[in-house]
Amino acid sequence: MSLTGEIAASLRDLPEASAIALVIKIDDYLDTMRAVLDAFIVEKELTAVYITSTIPSQSITNVLNILEIDLNRVKFVDCISHIMMGAAVQAEHTHFVESPTMLENIMLKVEFLMRSIPGKKLVLLDSINSLAIHNNTKILSEFLHIMVNNLRAKEAYTLILSVEEQSSDEITNMLGLVCDEMLVISESG
Amino acid sequence: MPEAAAKTDAADEDRCITGIDGLDRILNGGIPRGNTVLITGSCGTGKTTLSFEFLLHGAMNNENGLFISVTENWKKLLKNVIPYSFFDESLVKSKKLILIDLSSIYQKLGLEKEEFSMEDIDIIVKAVGDIVREWKIKRLVIDSITSICFQLKTKEKIRDFILSMGKNLSDAGCTSILVSEISPGEQSYSMYGVEEAIADGIVLMANLERRGDLLRTLQVVKMRGTMHSRAKYVLDLTPVGVLLVPLLKGGSVAGGV
Repeated sequence: MSLTGEIAASLRDLPEASAIALVIKIDDYLDTMRAVLDAFIVEKELTAVYITSTIPSQSITNVLNILEIDLNRVKFVDCISHIMMGAAVQAEHTHFVESPTMLENIMLKVEFLMRSIPGKKLVLLDSINSLAIHNNTKILSEFLHIMVNNLRAKEAYTLILSVEEQSSDEITNMLGLVCDEMLVISESG
Repeated sequence: MPEAAAKTDAADEDRCITGIDGLDRILNGGIPRGNTVLITGSCGTGKTTLSFEFLLHGAMNNENGLFISVTENWKKLLKNVIPYSFFDESLVKSKKLILIDLSSIYQKLGLEKEEFSMEDIDIIVKAVGDIVREWKIKRLVIDSITSICFQLKTKEKIRDFILSMGKNLSDAGCTSILVSEISPGEQSYSMYGVEEAIADGIVLMANLERRGDLLRTLQVVKMRGTMHSRAKYVLDLTPVGVLLVPLLKGGSVAGGV
């Protein structure tokens, strides 16, 4: 089975409001994105709240355009563009957080989108590894614990992306603590 | 009526539901009716926006609200307040939400002076009480009480003013918010140190600096008549209203977050 097929199959039968950690290899990033968004936006017809702390939302938007993903179903919480000094271009579907250290503000932007967007939602965190660069494990665990439980109560899916090459035992333990399931995707290499 | 529903109705009677989800949860269901609450903080912390939303939710639920603006013209205030997605101008037109500049009340009463006497205080309190009764006001905001206190000069007069105003409004079944301005880093909850002792509740709004980030915070320090959380929350002023999330503690290590 292809990588995208493998991911899609794993995500298809998830119980409602699941919290999933998706552990991928860095080279599989684009394929993973395509599979995740296909599974949740196209198949399940959800709206995605995409928290990016890795790449500016503008770059992701460009990729999603190439992948022909319906951008009306993707809202960004971008917490990396501002600290890149000048990369934050105002866009209709993007809410900026000044820094990835402002974890409460990330929660607040997600909460705002949860209230503003009708229907069921997927909250995608890309990625736990980049957030771990800017935050210590204790505050990051606290953030994940509160956010995941809050989203579960609102019947939203949570998907946390972790890049294997950038991960650590602490991050793996943290994900194990808050997520219902950990999917390890490994095709590259 | 089923017992559970009757209990809920009774709880609604006792509580003034602010309509701000996070705050109602912190307050265990809302502000006890008739309470006079001091919302205190330095500039830019969201006091006016929070107070205005409190009135707006009331007006939308058939509880008439009165906003007495002391420091700025109410028309300017309406322009500057967050453009709420649920704001309906007809609430102002239908007088469910009334906005008044205090200066116009002073003008009517012939009280345009630099310092008020005890008699003047009685006249102002009575005038506000009359408006509350005439328009069946259930929620009132005075923004800000600090500016009024500035014209009272002595602690005795401030004490007398807030006590009489609080009693008058409470007797009329009105739940009130008095906005109080303090300097950043101020240790007390009010400018004159009197307001905080008299109010039934204190909601402290502040800017918290953490590793160079500035977060807006809210903390209910005191609220008579209800159990409540005393933890600090981070807030955001959004078109869907004031949103609150818990302040992360990062293991509670001082300076370690």
